[in-house]
Formats: sequence, structure tokens, C-alpha cells
Amino acid sequence: MNNRSGTNKTAAFDSRKISLKSLTPYIFIGPALIALIMLVIYPLCYGVFISFFKTNLSNKWDFVALKNYISIFSDKTFISQIWVTLKFTFLVVAAHFVIGVLLGMVLNQKKAGITFFRAVLVLPWLFPEVVVALIFKWIMNPLYGLVNNYLLDAGLINDHISWLGDTRFAFIAVVLVCIWKGYPLVMVNVLAGLQSVSEDIYEAAKMDGANKVQTFFRIVLPSIKPVLTTTLVLDTVWWFKHYTIVYLLTKGGPGSDTSIISIEIYKQAFEYFNFGKAAAMSVIVFFICLVISKLYRRFLDNEE
Amino acid sequence: MKNKKEVNIKLKRGKITGNILTYFVLGISSILVLVPMLWMISTSVKIESETITIPPKWIPDNPTFDSYSRLWTEYPFLTYFKNSIIIVIGAVVLSVFFSCLSGYGITRFKFKGKNSFLTFVLVTQMFPSIMLLIPFYKVLDLYGLKDSLLGMILVYTSFTIPFCTWMMVGFFRTIPLELDEAAIIDGCSRWKAFYKIVLPMTLPGISSVAIYSFITAWNEYMFAQVLITSPELKTVPLGIADLNGFYKILWNDMMAASVIASLPLVILFIFLQKSFISGLTAGAVKQ
Repeated sequence: MNNRSGTNKTAAFDSRKISLKSLTPYIFIGPALIALIMLVIYPLCYGVFISFFKTNLSNKWDFVALKNYISIFSDKTFISQIWVTLKFTFLVVAAHFVIGVLLGMVLNQKKAGITFFRAVLVLPWLFPEVVVALIFKWIMNPLYGLVNNYLLDAGLINDHISWLGDTRFAFIAVVLVCIWKGYPLVMVNVLAGLQSVSEDIYEAAKMDGANKVQTFFRIVLPSIKPVLTTTLVLDTVWWFKHYTIVYLLTKGGPGSDTSIISIEIYKQAFEYFNFGKAAAMSVIVFFICLVISKLYRRFLDNEE
Repeated sequence: MKNKKEVNIKLKRGKITGNILTYFVLGISSILVLVPMLWMISTSVKIESETITIPPKWIPDNPTFDSYSRLWTEYPFLTYFKNSIIIVIGAVVLSVFFSCLSGYGITRFKFKGKNSFLTFVLVTQMFPSIMLLIPFYKVLDLYGLKDSLLGMILVYTSFTIPFCTWMMVGFFRTIPLELDEAAIIDGCSRWKAFYKIVLPMTLPGISSVAIYSFITAWNEYMFAQVLITSPELKTVPLGIADLNGFYKILWNDMMAASVIASLPLVILFIFLQKSFISGLTAGAVKQ
């Protein structure tokens, strides 16, 4: 009897200890969880909520159901802005990958001075976007900019060109600046991926008589594919929603040549005060990003 | 014998062309990277009239640091820097705090909802931040944090938590569980095992998290532009962008401000190059 009640006691004590113990993990993840709910999930839901209203965010709240979405899709300008954004994102990301993979591979060699080049080539990534935008605005200045002066000197152009104000050049100029700013991310990731590939594999490929092109496509590329896939998704989503550089260079102009979607959302909200419509646009942007990353995953994972 | 020699020569020649190609690619790309940066520095040490000479001069006749001193005397950059530094420190401390705790929790315990939490973190990382711009404008107001440094700290922390948590999970995973167990058997409490034994071993991870949140908070422009309205609360990126909006742009002053704004990141990079790179790639390589 005595003995039995003794075991019961320990059992009860144990179960209390276990329930206390089972709380511990939640204490560890709690702060992050609460912060994410208050600062990401709640605002996101609030954003979706706003998208069903015509509102100035203070005293006027007219429920309009799906009218914001309908007006967005019935408007041709939105479609053309999405198209501009897709074109922008595709060009920027594609160039990042071509340049990033090339430089990553070149930098993965053991040659004199590589450390120096590695440090120099990562520099654009370190510079604030605001600074990058303003440096290039200065370099492309129609009257005193370096670009025009050198091109005039070389006789390649006859007149001062307003690179950011001319509808023929603005889009491509903006794309080039964003390529310059963003390629180091891909380069560094490729480099890190390559360094985790063991030398033996290359040796083995060489012994088996594989040439450089074969080695690249059969050995190098597959071994860094996981890194490339993740980087591709991150880079695409990142530049799809990009704002700062383009806004500071052109404010979306001339006309709507460089009017990528984030700039349009900003203008709708904080220049025209159509908060509902702007919120609806950002919900759509979210779904587009979601679709893009799903497509990537499906396409790249099935390839094997 | 002869054949072997020919092969050797061929190999050598291949190596030389390879070298030339390597340095050609590296040289061209470095020039493309360095020219804008050197031009920024060159412009920043010119007097105003020399910024607009034709043809452009790389080395000014009268190099001067006047633009740099004007930043502190004629423009409120001292205030901008103070604000930026406060925001960066706040964001770094909070990011490290949140991500260390959750990283440890995820790797050390089995609990209900662990996988959902991880997926949740991953999904929040995929949200395009533009989606938060408009709601934040209102939500910060509800929290009583609109147009405040604390508000900006929280905004930037919310950007960094997901990625930083992923990074820390990766770093905590590399530390054997036996270590905690041994510490607890030796009489340490869970907390003590966490902050005395395991945490110090994740120092490279912590510095990656710190660097990542430093860069995010130091460089961010769009949210600051919308959420900060008082001139005395503006951050450095806002201050620089303001120089762009004046009726007459003083390029030398603007470039001086740009140099000063980029300097902290370059210095950080020089000293912490290794954790810089590992922090940048941790998420991508480990996922």
C-alpha cells in the first residue's frame, strides 16, 4: 500500500515536471513567434482587409468588396505595368546569373591576386541602394556625366543623351544599374557552392576524359544546382518587388517606361491616396511572387 | 617521348590562354565596378565649379574636404547618422535575440507545431515586403509607434527575423546535442546550458545575423520614406535622397554623403569578411 502510493506520488510529480518541460520550447520560440504575428501576419491580414475598402485610412471606410480588384484588372495600365515589371525582373535576374556564375567560377581558381578581385567584385553589394542610384544618376547626367563625355569623345554619339529621360534608353539604363548592384549575391552564392564541391570529383571527371564544357554541364552545374535554385527564387522575388533604385533614377518615367509595380503601388497609396487600390495591387503582387516561386520549384525539381 | 612533349606544350598553352582569359574577365569587371566608385570619391573632393568641367577631371586641381565638413555643419547629417545608428543597433540586438532563442528552441526540442513553425518562418520570408508598406503605415499608428525610431527598429526586425532564424537553425544544428545533455547532467539548468555552453559556440552565426540585420537596417529606404515624417527622425538614406531633390543638385556634397554612408559597410566587410560571406550564403547553401 505504502509503496504504491509512493510510486503514485512520483508519477504525479513527473507528469507535472513533464508539462512544465513541454512548455520550455515555446518559451524559446515564443518571442520570435509573437514578433512575427504582430509585425508580419497581422499587418498582412490588415493589408488584405484594406484592399476591400475605398479608404483614406482614417475616417473614410467604404466597403467596396472586390471593386478595387475589378478596377485594377479592367485597367490596361496595370497589365502593362506588370509586363514592364516582368521584363525588368527577367532581364535583371538573367544577367545576374550569367555574370554571377561566370565570375563565381573564375574566382574559384587558385591564382595570384584572386583575393583582391574577390573583394573588389563584391563591392556593389555593400553599397546602399540609395547611393548606387545617385552615383549612376550622376554618371549618366546628360551634360556633365562621364558616360556622355566619353561616348562623345569616342565619336560614338553626336549629341548629349539624356539616358534616364529618353524613352529609348531609360528602361535599359535602369536595368543595367540594377544588374550592377545585384550580381554579387549570385556570385558569392555560386562561389560558396563551388567550394563545397570536393576536388576529387573534378579529378575523376578529368581522368574519365571529360572536357571543360562537359565538366561544366555534367559536374559543376548539377552540384551547385540547389544553391542556384534558392538564389534564383530569392533574387527573382527581390527584384520583382524592387523600388529604391528605379524610383530614385526615374520615378517610373519617362511616361511609364520604367514604372515597375512597386513604384505604382507607392504612387497609388502616397500620391493619389487610393490606399484600397494600392493594397489590392500588393495582394496581387504577392500572388505573382508565389506563382513564380512555385513554378521555379516545380520546374527545377522535376528536371532531375 | 616526342608525343608526350607535344601534349605538355599543348597543356601549357591551354593554361596560358586560361590565365589570360581569367585576368581579362576579372580586369574588365573590376574596372566596371571601380569606375563608378572612384568617380564618386573624385567628385566628393572637388569644389563645386570643378564638378561640372568638360571634359571631366579625375584628379581635381584643388582637392578639398569641404563637402565632407559641410555635411556636419550645413546639413543635418549628424542627426541622420545618430538616427541610423540607433535604429541599426536596435535592429541588430533584437534580431540576434529573437533568432538565437528560436534557433535553439527548434534544434533542441521536439514539440507540437515545430514543423508548422518552420514552414511559417519560411513563408513569411517569401512575402514581398511591399505588401507590408501600406498596412504598416496604419498598424504602427495603432501600436502608437508611427514616426518613431522604435517603430523603425521593429519594422526592420520583422524583415530580418525569418532569414536570421533560418541562419541560426543552421548554426545550432552543427553543435552536438550531447553538449547540452552533458551540461544538464552536470547540474546546469536549461537556460544556463543555453547561454553559457551552446550560445558561445554559435558566435560565427551570431555575427552573420548581426551583419545581415546591420545591412538591412542601414540601407533601407522605401519604408523609412513612408513611415518617417519628422525631419529630425530621418535616416541616412533619406538624407542622401533629399540632396537629390533640391532645386540645384550639389554633386560634390551628395557624393561626399554617399561615401560616408557606404563607409561603415565597407569597414565592416574588411574586418568580418568571413562571417560576411557565410552569413550571406548560409540560407542558400544550407536549405
